[in-house]
Parts: sequence; C-alpha cells; structure tokens
Amino acid sequence: MTLIDNPDQKDLADAVRKLVSARSPLSKVRAVALSDAPYDADVWRQVCSLGLPGLAIPEQYGGADGTWADLFVGLRELGAGLVQTPLLASSVLAAGALLAGDDEDAKSTWLPKIAEGKAIGALAISEEGDATWGAQPAGVTATDGTLSGTKVAVLGGAEADVLIVHASDGFYLVETDQPGVTVTREEVLDLTRSVATVTLDGASGRLLAGDAGAVLDRVIDLANVALAAEQSGAITTCIKITTEYANIRYSFGLPIGAYQGVKHKLADDYTEWCLVDASVRTAGEALTTGSSEVSVAAAAARVLASPAYTRAAKNMMLLHGGIGFTWEHDAHLFYRNAVAGNVLLGGPLFQQDRLADKLGV
Amino acid sequence: MPADEFRAKALAWLQEHATPFTAEAADRFAPTLDESKAFQKGLAEAGLAGITWPTEYGGQGLGEDELIAFNEVSADFLMPTGPFVIGLGMPAPTILELGTEEQKKRHIPKMLTGEEIWCQLFSEPNGGSDVASLQTTATRTETGSWLINGQKVWTSGAQFSDFGAILARTDPTVPRHAGITMFIVDMHHPGVTVRPLVVATGDAPFNEVYFDDVEVPADAVIGEVNAGWAAAVVMLRNERVTIGARGRARNNPLGFDTLREIASDVGTSDDPGVRRKLAMVYARETAAAAFGRVLHEGALSGEPIGARGSVGKLAGAEFGLWASDAAEEIVGQDIALLSGKSAKVAKMILAGPGSATAGGSNEIQRNIIAERVLGLPKDPGAADRKTPFNQLKLSK
Repeated sequence: MTLIDNPDQKDLADAVRKLVSARSPLSKVRAVALSDAPYDADVWRQVCSLGLPGLAIPEQYGGADGTWADLFVGLRELGAGLVQTPLLASSVLAAGALLAGDDEDAKSTWLPKIAEGKAIGALAISEEGDATWGAQPAGVTATDGTLSGTKVAVLGGAEADVLIVHASDGFYLVETDQPGVTVTREEVLDLTRSVATVTLDGASGRLLAGDAGAVLDRVIDLANVALAAEQSGAITTCIKITTEYANIRYSFGLPIGAYQGVKHKLADDYTEWCLVDASVRTAGEALTTGSSEVSVAAAAARVLASPAYTRAAKNMMLLHGGIGFTWEHDAHLFYRNAVAGNVLLGGPLFQQDRLADKLGV
Repeated sequence: MPADEFRAKALAWLQEHATPFTAEAADRFAPTLDESKAFQKGLAEAGLAGITWPTEYGGQGLGEDELIAFNEVSADFLMPTGPFVIGLGMPAPTILELGTEEQKKRHIPKMLTGEEIWCQLFSEPNGGSDVASLQTTATRTETGSWLINGQKVWTSGAQFSDFGAILARTDPTVPRHAGITMFIVDMHHPGVTVRPLVVATGDAPFNEVYFDDVEVPADAVIGEVNAGWAAAVVMLRNERVTIGARGRARNNPLGFDTLREIASDVGTSDDPGVRRKLAMVYARETAAAAFGRVLHEGALSGEPIGARGSVGKLAGAEFGLWASDAAEEIVGQDIALLSGKSAKVAKMILAGPGSATAGGSNEIQRNIIAERVLGLPKDPGAADRKTPFNQLKLSK
C-alpha cells in the first residue's frame, strides 16, 4: 500500500477531472443549484459511465470490485468541482449500509442497481434535535414490519428509490414508491446538496439482517472518509481560485498576493490541506487493508477536513474582498457547502467524541 | 523481498544494540558522546547507515524501500544518534550533491561511522531567517586560501563538532545572494571559539561561534565560489525535511501518547473538553506524520519534495504551538510546575517558539510555500535582491 495515488487512481482522477471541466464547470453547478433538480441527469450519466457508483461494490453484486480508496479519489475530484450527484448518498452511505449487513436478498436486489446508477439509495439516520449519529433512534418505530416516524437531514433522500432507515430495532429497507412515505426536499443553506425530511406513516419496511450496531459503526466510518475526501478536493479549488485572483488583483501597486497578509493565509490553507489530504489517504489505506485503526483514521480525517474546509472557504471570501461576497462569485457556493458539511452526517463535537472513544481515551 | 530481509536484519541488530522504546526509558535516556559515537560506528559496520547513499562513499546503495523499512523498525528504539542528525541530514546530502569527488571520499564515510561530527553555520546574530543578509566574510589570501571572520549563532552541536559547513560573504559588491560562498571549516582551528547559548528553557542546546582569521584552503569550497546561495538552498531544503518530516515521535512530550497518560494521571481525562482536545492532538499529530509519508512516497515515484518540505516544517512547528495550548487545557494547573510527570510537557511548551524559529521562521516558511508551491508573487521585501550588498541597510 502507498499513500499516494496508484496508476489506476491517477487515471481515474484525470478522467473525473476532465468530466468536471467539460460537463460540470462551476457555471453548470450554479445553474443546477438554482433549478428544481437536485443534480443534472446528464452529468450523472457521465459519472456512471466512468463506473463510479459501482467502484467499491464487489463483483458478485454487479460492482467493479475496487477499493473504497478508489471511490474516494472520484469523490475528491467531484468535490473539487462541487458537482451535484447522489454518489455519496447512494454508493457510500446506502450501499455501505447494505454491505455492512448480512442481508443477501437485499444486497443482491439493490446493490447491482446502485452499482449501475439505475437506482439511488439514501441513508436515514438523524432525528430532530439530535446531531449525533451514535444515538439509539427513538423517532422511528416498527410495528409488524410497518414504520412510523420522522427522519431529518437525509442526504439525497428526495431522489432516492430506496431508503435504509435506522429504526428503534434495527435498519430497515424502505422503498420510497409506496403510500406512507412522504419525502420533502428541504430548502437548504448548501445549494449543491439535496437534503430531505422523511416522514413514515405505516410504511412497509424490511428489517435488514445483521448487527445494526456494527452497520452503524461502519457507515459512520465510510461517511467520514467520503465526506473528508470531497472536502479535500473542495479545499484545493478554494486555494486555486483565490491564488489566481491574488495574482491578478492589484492594490497599492502590487498584486495582492505579494503581501504577506494574503500569502500567509493561503500558505496556511495549503498546509492544512496537506494534512487533510494525508489523513484521508491514511483512512483510505486503513479501509483497504482492513486495519483495526479504520474508525480512528476515518474520524481523524473528518475532524481535520471539515474545519479546514470551512476556513479555506471563509478565506476565499475574505481574500476576494467585496467581490467574494457577491452572489455572482462562486465563493459562497463553497462556503455554504463547507458550513453544511461540518454539521451533516454527525456534527463536529460528535466526531471529536467518536475519535476519543475509538482511541480509548 | 529485499526490503523485508533488510527490515529483519535491521530489527535483529537494533534488538541487540539499542534500547527498546518505553516512556520510562525515554525519560532516563541520556547517552554520552562516546556512547553515541560507538553506536553510530556499529550502525555503519552493520550496514545500516547511509542506506540510500552510494557505496563508494560508505553508503549502502539501497533504495527508499529499505530506508522506509529502517525508519519504521527503528521508531521502536531509542537510538543515541543525536550528535549526527545535523551532519547526516544537511551537510552530507549537500556535499553528495555539490561537493567534489575528493570532498565526498574524504568526509562522507567518516560522517557515516561517526568519526566526524558536523555542524551547520548559517545563522547570524543580525540575520535571523534572512540568511542571505549574512555578514561573516571570507577573503582570499595570496596563496588562494581564505580567511574567515565573523560570528554565527544558533549552531547546534558546535561544541563537539569536528567540521562545519559555513556560509561567508566573498563579494560584497554584488547583490546579496550573489556574493556568498559555502566552505568546509575545521572546527578545531585555533581561530574558532564556541560559546554555549542559554535559551528560554534554561538549557544550552545551541552555541555562538566566533571566527577570527580562520584559514581554510581553496579546496574547502562546496560548489562554486560566489555560488554559495545555491548550495545553501540545497542544504535548507534538506534541513526542512530533516526538521519537519519526522514520523510521529512516541516520546514527544506534546504528543498524544504522553498527554493522554498525563491526563489520566492528573484526573482530567473524563472531562469532555479534554477528551476532544486529546482527539484533536491525535488527529493533527498523525496527519503531520502521514504527510511526511506522502512526501516520501511521492519522491520515490519521481515527484521531488521541493518546497513542500516547508509545509512539513511549518506543520510541525504549528503543531508544537497549537499542542502547547491544548496541553494547558489537558494537563491543567500542573502545567505551571516544573516537577512531576508533566514537567517535560511544561518544558516543551517553553521550547515551542524556538522550534518555530529554527530552520527559518514560520513566516519565512509561509512565504516559501506561497511563492514556490502556490506561485504567488515575490514579497515586496525582496526588492533589495538587485542592490549590491555593501549598499544595503542591514541590522547591526
């Protein structure tokens, strides 16, 4: 194992970068953000044609049998372009939950569709008033295979064909195309992520075989590294755009990037990114080798990535001066994405507590 | 695999000759200079020194895989190699890159066996991180040798060094970067005076070194006359890697292992805020070590470390400063004591600002990262790059 991209990963990164610049530049991201659609169907088809949705899914379930680290390379490059896709929700969270359980029927029914990008899955964990992903859920209860209750902050929920719902007695598979399931796409701070509230009222669900605690633990790890990978990519774009601007914007007779007040902020952002990138790679390696340090490495990546991204995005706005605060500039797209990314999928204090727990502190 | 064989060989030797790492052993570890020299000699004889360096100069001629294997294996041992870190980390690679065949043959093998201890003589009292403002002079005599006069400071290990790599100004009439030369200087020359420099911690880890008509021969020049800045850049690059890209040191007083242990001793470890701080110490410490690995593996695959060595240096220094604040919260009131288990943490807090200055201040590292990695414009302060040195305003 190495911590740098292997040749296949380099090729994949190049391919995704090309896709992003050709099919989903920031002007397109903005257009999608202001439309009613959570993502662009054409871009998603392109992402699927690169095989990303099935990359980390085993061959027996129709996937490409790659590693999670491979998929994180793709997420990193899509994150760098803020590209709206259901990849994280479907291929990491929903597929990860299925893979972590023991339900062969559910796996063989849904994973091939998710791998192809034909079906979209989402994972419903958070409940109103609880930003942690560790609590035993009380808001969704099951009676004779029918579920009732409400889940919030469900990433990709509005576009999902199937939901994996964390209920009081385990994880349930719930198809959205049925009465009793109401999915409301929320108006959100982050214009590039689709978040939904899911209300179940006697919806029929299938209790997934397997240890729910182990599934939850695994899914948190995957969520942490995947989000950190996206954020790592996004940080590089914040730095790139701001550096370009600092080279062409003149004040007091010099490009503003010549002044230490500007260059030191960017150097700090870059240094933080180096740490984030290294920690994402460490976590990807731990997942690939099946190391016992997976949870520690995943939480460590997340507790570094989310605040580093918020800082880089904030600096992007600040160093652009007034222009960075305008609606027309892309800085706020990143800032919104950063702030939301810090609190979604288990907030910052939950992540720090989890890391402490996993370290045995 | 050869790297695995090498790893096994290194492990076997270390098990026989080095002290296994434990926190208690690390606290007691205080090798004498003679013990250090004997250890380095043994290391070289066992084929474990200069692992990637050419065999004609006493190295092993092996690859980075073997070097990584050795670094991983040796992390579990306390090695008395401190006196050789500077010489092998900075002057030696510079001589290997820029030195004459004679210089390499004469010095590198002895550096590897610990027979020659080296120091690096760059910093001056009036220069700080602006190394190119140096005022020590070397003037050519009629015989072609050079006479060195001036003062250096912050010199680690000068008190026991046999040789030093020194930067001196050889032409003051050209802009400051253009008139500098790097020399090999014999530290036993009668004109060399070494005085210990006591720092904020009360220790004297550095020295002031005075040069009073110290004569060095013409063949003591490393690289070319008046091209010493290029040699300095090579050495500073190696220095940043040596200082910055260390692995996660198990006996770092500001590291996770030590702070967790002390938190448990002083009874703060159940506090939610303390637990979160400890978690962040772990995340930052391991990320810095992992970044060192990313650089290393990148270099292996043909992506030179270059100015990214400054990132490692900055990240390491910033970790020290940040972890000092974290340690105050984690340890609590005992951090005000210089006794008991937390004393080593308190001392490290005191030493933190020094580490952030050594090898170029954090501000200088940020300039390097911004200019050479990100491609931002030169600092306006670089305007004097074109002024002849003897017309510059200098600190006195």
